[in-house]
Amino acid sequence: MIRLSIEVENNLGLHARAAAKLVQLASGFSSNIYLSRKDANQKIDSKSILGVLMLAASKGTCLAVSIDGHDELEAGEAIRKLFKSKFGEKE
Amino acid sequence: MAVKREKEFLGSGVSPGVVFGQALKLDNRNRAILKMRVDDVEEEIRRLLNAIEQSKAQLAVLKSRLEEKIGSEHSVILDTHILILEDQTLRNEILDGIRKERANSEWAVTRAMKRIVRAYESLEDEYFREKHNDIEDVMERVLLNLSGDRPFSWDNLPGDLILVSRDFHPSAFATMDLQKVRGLVLELGGRTSHTAIISRGLRLPAVMGIRDILPSITTGDALIVNGDDGQVILNPTQKRMQRMRGRIEAFGTTASYVLEKSGQTTLTRDGTAVSLRANTELPYELEAAKRCGAEGIGLFRSELLFFGHPQGLPSVEEQCSSYRELVREMKPHTVAIRTLDAGSEKVFDGEDYSGQDNSAMGLRGIRLSLKAKDMFRSQIEAILRSSSDGNIEIVLPMVSTVEEIWQAKSLISEVRESLRENSDLELRKVPVGAMIEVPAAVFSLEVLAKEVDFLCVGTNDLIQYMLAVDRENPHVAYLFQPLHPTVLHCLARIADVAANLKTPARICGEISSNPFYAVLLLGMGYTQLSMNPLSIPAIRRVLHEVSIDDSRRIAEKALTFVTAHEVCRYLTDAVSKLVKTDLAYYAREIAAPNGKS
Repeated sequence: MIRLSIEVENNLGLHARAAAKLVQLASGFSSNIYLSRKDANQKIDSKSILGVLMLAASKGTCLAVSIDGHDELEAGEAIRKLFKSKFGEKE
Repeated sequence: MAVKREKEFLGSGVSPGVVFGQALKLDNRNRAILKMRVDDVEEEIRRLLNAIEQSKAQLAVLKSRLEEKIGSEHSVILDTHILILEDQTLRNEILDGIRKERANSEWAVTRAMKRIVRAYESLEDEYFREKHNDIEDVMERVLLNLSGDRPFSWDNLPGDLILVSRDFHPSAFATMDLQKVRGLVLELGGRTSHTAIISRGLRLPAVMGIRDILPSITTGDALIVNGDDGQVILNPTQKRMQRMRGRIEAFGTTASYVLEKSGQTTLTRDGTAVSLRANTELPYELEAAKRCGAEGIGLFRSELLFFGHPQGLPSVEEQCSSYRELVREMKPHTVAIRTLDAGSEKVFDGEDYSGQDNSAMGLRGIRLSLKAKDMFRSQIEAILRSSSDGNIEIVLPMVSTVEEIWQAKSLISEVRESLRENSDLELRKVPVGAMIEVPAAVFSLEVLAKEVDFLCVGTNDLIQYMLAVDRENPHVAYLFQPLHPTVLHCLARIADVAANLKTPARICGEISSNPFYAVLLLGMGYTQLSMNPLSIPAIRRVLHEVSIDDSRRIAEKALTFVTAHEVCRYLTDAVSKLVKTDLAYYAREIAAPNGKS
């Protein structure tokens, strides 16, 4: 089980396109991957688009990610990269 | 179990009568959302998963089409939609609904959707809050695919249903089992809406215009619909039921009689033939006209062909195919096409006709057609061409001067000449009639009637213009009195002049669908009545019980009164004495022509 702390850096936040990318990426791993906003208790499944959108995470939101499973390291790395790449969004 | 509290809602009573029944809530597409017990849960789950897979496949096709057209940048929204369909949380919630409640997929999908939508609606960020639209969009698709798989069936429903919906599209009447429906309650709509007119034709008590009633109602709730007073009672108490019982029992009529196979001809008791025709507009009304034994279409309102047309104006060919269908289906009877009767706000020939405050007295009907001549020509051409398939007539709306008839007729001959030269269609004679709906037309009828082959009395407008009452205006709606002595004298005069000049006159208006009024009109000399097709069987039945002499006597006497109220009292009494059919519903309708609100 690993934990990451990630900030949403892209301008649009976890809007539909970014959320879709995150869900598609997360669904490729067998680990359970949960997200929660640091300012709220609600924990959501990163493989659920409805959950990710419910986070309503705009730019600057801090998210806690917890990953549990045999591919947790790879998953953590991939997710970190996706957020860093700003979901491929043009500046 | 806690006793549910009684609650009263007030709206506008658009179709009279008092009925008791249980609510059947419909969604925005007029589908029932109701919980049904399923016997085979696994089978139901297979049905759901099939619908989801089908929806995914449809979205994938859409996505690839969209990518071809505008590139993958924009097709991403469909990715979101596909992901929603794959969302395990959502799917589990739906499956839970089916398994734990042993309920049908439609109900489980709707419930899950509502929960999620509610959660989204509470978000502060507007962008994310708006995402509920996507969820609803996707779920609609699943519901649609579910219904394609095994359409919602009226067979499984109990009787005595009260339909409760935001709006109700008239075409939905065609799909419902009228034997099971007792009343209608809508959030939108009003007295003059098409749905209200049909409700009256079906003798279906209805209350409309109750804002925000839907959240309070669940399918299965006990309801009283009081169309007389525009009142709806949710969970009526025993006391209330007792108080209402007399009224409810007296009006426990259903619309089932309209489903009886109707005969084809209408004869009075002494054997005089009366021609009952249909006013139509929507496609399903043609079906109703045939089923109810209409002897032709007395008035086809052509506006729908023009409004909402993607290119602004329908082509001659498009119009032709609509008119030809009517003509073929109604054979051997005649179809009368009323040329476009639009207010100028809807027209599109490049001219700016805006700036008219009072469209009822503005540039509309024949006035507009004579200005927008290309549009008028295309409609005339389509009608003339369709005559090769059967009997068709042209009706000119809003005629107020004889010059308008002259100009229209000369344009019609021009078009006919050019068709004769340029096509080898075998064109029949196409009679031309005038709508008599402006007071000026009534008083110059001797002149106008000689210029046309027949007259159509448009009573809805005529009464408004005659009495200077806008029935949509609630402050004066009480003055909209179809039985106003002036209106009766006016109609009697039209019948007399038409008879003297041997020009057939036909009544095309809502009044002819009320049996009391129908008897009155017969007595004045009208033997062609055109009405909402669903009203035809009832009128046919009543006229069968009345002789021409009876009706003449009644009409003569009715013309001697000085108030609408007196006429109404006399007419109700005189006709009820002659006729065995239960006319209580219509007596209420005629006593309160504008309903109460």
